[in-house]
Amino acid sequence: MESNLKIIDLGLLIKDQNILVLADFHIGYEEALNKQGILVPKFQFKDVIKRLGNIFSELKKIKIDKIIINGDIKHEFGRISEQEWRETLRLLDFLEKHCKEIILVKGNHDTILGPIAKKKKVSVVDYYFAGDVLIMHGHRIPNKNILKKAKTIIIGHEHPVVSLKEDIRTEKFKCFLKGKYKRKKLIVMPSFCLATEGTDILKEKPLSPFLEQDLRNFEVFVVADKVYDFGKLKNLNQPL
Amino acid sequence: MIEFKERSNTEKEIINVMNPLVKKWFFSRFKEFSLPQLYGIMEVHSRSNVLISAPTGATKTLTAFLSILNELVDSAEKGILEDKIYCVYISPLKALNYDIEVNLKEPLKQIEEIAGKKLGIKVAVRTGDTTPSERSKMLKNPPHILITTPESLAILLSTIKFRELLRNIEWCIVDEIHALADNKRGIHLSLSMERLQRLSQYICRVGLSATISPLQDVAKFLVGFENGKPRDCKIINVQFIKKMDLKVLSPVPDLINTSHEEMQDAMYSLIDKLIQDHKTTLIFTNTRAATERVVDHLKESFPKNYTENIGAHHGSLSKTHRHDVENKLREGKLKVVVSSTSLELGIDIGYIDLVILLGSPKSVARALQRCGRSGHKLHDISKGRIIVLNRDDLVECAVLLKSAIEEKIDKIHIPKNCLDVLAQQIYGIAIAQKIHINDLFSLIKKSYCFNDLKRVDFREVIDYLCGKYTSLEDRHIYAKIWHDEETGMIGRRGRLARVIYMTNIGTIPDETFVIVKVGEQTIGKIDEAFLEKMKRGDVFVLGGSIYEFLYSKGMVAYVSSSVNRPPTIPSWVSESLPLSFDLALEIGRFRRYMEEKFLKKQSKEEIIKFINNYLYVDVNGANAIFNYFQEQYFYAEIPSIKKLLVESYSDNKRKYCIFHSLYGRRVNDVLSRAVAFAISRVQHRDVEIGISDNGFYIASGKGINGVKALKILKSDKLELVLHMAIEKTEVLKRRFRHCATRALMILRNYNGRKMRVGRQQVSSMILMSAVKRISTNFSILKEARREVLQDLMDIENAKLILKQVEEKKIRVNQITTSIPSPFALNLVMQGHLDVMRMEDKMEFLRRMHQMTLAKIGLKHRME
Repeated sequence: MESNLKIIDLGLLIKDQNILVLADFHIGYEEALNKQGILVPKFQFKDVIKRLGNIFSELKKIKIDKIIINGDIKHEFGRISEQEWRETLRLLDFLEKHCKEIILVKGNHDTILGPIAKKKKVSVVDYYFAGDVLIMHGHRIPNKNILKKAKTIIIGHEHPVVSLKEDIRTEKFKCFLKGKYKRKKLIVMPSFCLATEGTDILKEKPLSPFLEQDLRNFEVFVVADKVYDFGKLKNLNQPL
Repeated sequence: MIEFKERSNTEKEIINVMNPLVKKWFFSRFKEFSLPQLYGIMEVHSRSNVLISAPTGATKTLTAFLSILNELVDSAEKGILEDKIYCVYISPLKALNYDIEVNLKEPLKQIEEIAGKKLGIKVAVRTGDTTPSERSKMLKNPPHILITTPESLAILLSTIKFRELLRNIEWCIVDEIHALADNKRGIHLSLSMERLQRLSQYICRVGLSATISPLQDVAKFLVGFENGKPRDCKIINVQFIKKMDLKVLSPVPDLINTSHEEMQDAMYSLIDKLIQDHKTTLIFTNTRAATERVVDHLKESFPKNYTENIGAHHGSLSKTHRHDVENKLREGKLKVVVSSTSLELGIDIGYIDLVILLGSPKSVARALQRCGRSGHKLHDISKGRIIVLNRDDLVECAVLLKSAIEEKIDKIHIPKNCLDVLAQQIYGIAIAQKIHINDLFSLIKKSYCFNDLKRVDFREVIDYLCGKYTSLEDRHIYAKIWHDEETGMIGRRGRLARVIYMTNIGTIPDETFVIVKVGEQTIGKIDEAFLEKMKRGDVFVLGGSIYEFLYSKGMVAYVSSSVNRPPTIPSWVSESLPLSFDLALEIGRFRRYMEEKFLKKQSKEEIIKFINNYLYVDVNGANAIFNYFQEQYFYAEIPSIKKLLVESYSDNKRKYCIFHSLYGRRVNDVLSRAVAFAISRVQHRDVEIGISDNGFYIASGKGINGVKALKILKSDKLELVLHMAIEKTEVLKRRFRHCATRALMILRNYNGRKMRVGRQQVSSMILMSAVKRISTNFSILKEARREVLQDLMDIENAKLILKQVEEKKIRVNQITTSIPSPFALNLVMQGHLDVMRMEDKMEFLRRMHQMTLAKIGLKHRME
């Protein structure tokens, strides 16, 4: 991807600083569905832990210093639900074992993170600089002074997926996007929410203000059993 | 015992049991008893279960009600009329309920006038529209005759106070039973009737039906089982007492060498002429969109003839609009009304003297029901004209007409053991009372639709309702009932149980439409599953115009109309009416006779004479049919009921394997998926499927050996193959949503909010994958598969066909053509598309990746 960045499944490794970035867990998603009247049983948390386990075994010898959760660790706006409280703590417990420090970047769903952060003694920030790499959720554009210092911006929020299509078969895959924002490199991370795929960027209107631009030259990296470089988005628009 | 009533009662017998007031009223209105009355009145009077099958306007409802009115009037006169519900009348249509109310209140008023005093007999309607104040009034002052819908009845059965009023009911009338027996509303009702009978042990069941077959099964559906045997029921079959004048018309003599425009012009001229020659015409189309199109076109082409005197009537129109049209019809203010299916049932629509069917109605029973809407009075002649627009339609409708005239009615399919409906009803039962599990099981098995329910399936539904699929700590969220293993008792759980049940009851799924907009202007609706198949830049057809898909947001698809490319995806054929299996076989039989004539080298005159005699078509029609078959015979060969023709042909892109399997789409859906599955297993590639009533095709980039694939399939393994073949289809996902909603796993109304359909669909996908992790045989998933294979498709008859192929009772012939044969043409053009996914998602991804790399010459830049 980038000499200093490496895609590890749904996570992104900043090599020179031993930082692992993960985004959009949306813990509590099922409970939110339950409240809407969809009685889906809980399964996401188990899957998330399993998939994280795979990431750490892939990292093997690399000792991670910091894990940055790039927004929306939990799903509900406003108050913390019971499932969110329980599972967020369990997730942080799990991650703690694999790093020295956890930093939570605030997302739009993270309005009340205080109690959890306090209990686990993790810091909550609006954005984080790893050298000249700016990590932020991406639901709004920060002020110029912050942007000025960044060469690369890593955002979440969008939950990007691409739909690959042949004849009348369509399949959706989570993916990373790489492009530019005001002459800076922009990386959009896929979500770690395993209950849903996300926003089909070939079809739906993007959510993040960073993506209110021509996306045709953005590059697509599909994440599945490994990473597949699909080149520029515009190529996917053509019939194959 | 289920038996046909062979002899009618005499007028004298009936008069003998009639109260003088009722007798006086009856003969002041009618000259004599009608045939259904002569057969039926005494049965209802002596409280024997009875199923009456008769065409519209044959005084069925009065037959059912006359004995009951007689009884009520008699009791009132004697001062022994109790303050209780004597009769529950159930119909599938709210509109019909209000008609019935009027039709009962009026005679009662007239009888009171004759009596010169009030009799105090009360009639009331209870539907979802009944206001809370009316409801509480009903509790304090119950009607003697309660008119309701299947859904409202189920609610009443779970309402503690109202249940007391449902004890000792004497009659239960189910009207329009033909519109209920073949779908889950009816299955739901069959259980409600058992719940009702549990409260009123000696209830007499009366079923009223339009033309339908087989009557024995419908009778069993009506009466259910007692002690493992069907309850007694008399069947009164007076289906064919009304005279019919039916014809198939073609707008042009040559259905193949006529341009689309000429055909349209000729069709509308023909329709206009027919309308002008009659007083009031009712036109049936097969889709709602076509309904609007016909109205617009008639107004445009004949502005002088059609202004305020034309109306459209279909399910998507507002209630007010529909009522307006119905009223105008009754008042005789309309010259013509165009409908899809909404006017099929018995709502009073006044005087209609002609019914036009545009395109094939696909089943004999439906054709008779629709045409029966004309000549509403018993002695009127029903006049129906079917207009055909292509040669397949012509043959199909000509054979349909023959079956109709010869009284061969196609059989309906009554779904059995629907686990989603069962779950909803058990919940309702548990809300009403605590019940022992064995007691519950035997109650359920009394319904014809659950008579052979397996104990293990029943247990799985109980376990689902108990929330056993979730961990103990979470169970309080999911459990709807409790079941005490020690005492065997079952009861409701959760303080919201009653509210959840009342607000989410029913079996009719919400439709998933996506609104299509150009900018802010709405131009139409497309099926949600259709949107799934689209990506940015795709071009598609909607309402005759071409649009380019831009993006979607929620349940809105934004498109551009400034596009000048041909469509990139085929138009969407939603789940439209399938050809009935029995009618399909009749067409196959006709094909066989035709082939014999050609093989015997009979002259054109001889063959045309045969067609003329066999099919009741005119000379034009016979000529067109002759030409069609002759072309097929000379170019290829004629497939038939005894010969399955498999035609291979390729265009520059792919190879097609066309199966001339004229068994209707429900059977072809099964056969095509099974064959495609067998092929894709061997070739390990996705193949494309096209399905129609007359056959199916399999297409692929590589060569396909369809006959070999067909022969690999075994009838006794078909179910297994289909389970695998449908696992990843859109249709299973959609049906799972419907089932999950019926089983109340997805609550459409919850916490005072109504869930959007789009939300339901997205959530149901998450739900389905979660459920699969618990068990691939989770009861609701199992039901979704059953619904797809047995109700939407027809696996039983597909097995039958496959067995005949195995036993060589059906020959399989193989031919190769350079262009599709005449019989294959419509099939290839109109086939409804799907794809058999053989490759798993990862293999698909890898191949797509390789193709992308090759295409854009990308270097591997991945680390």
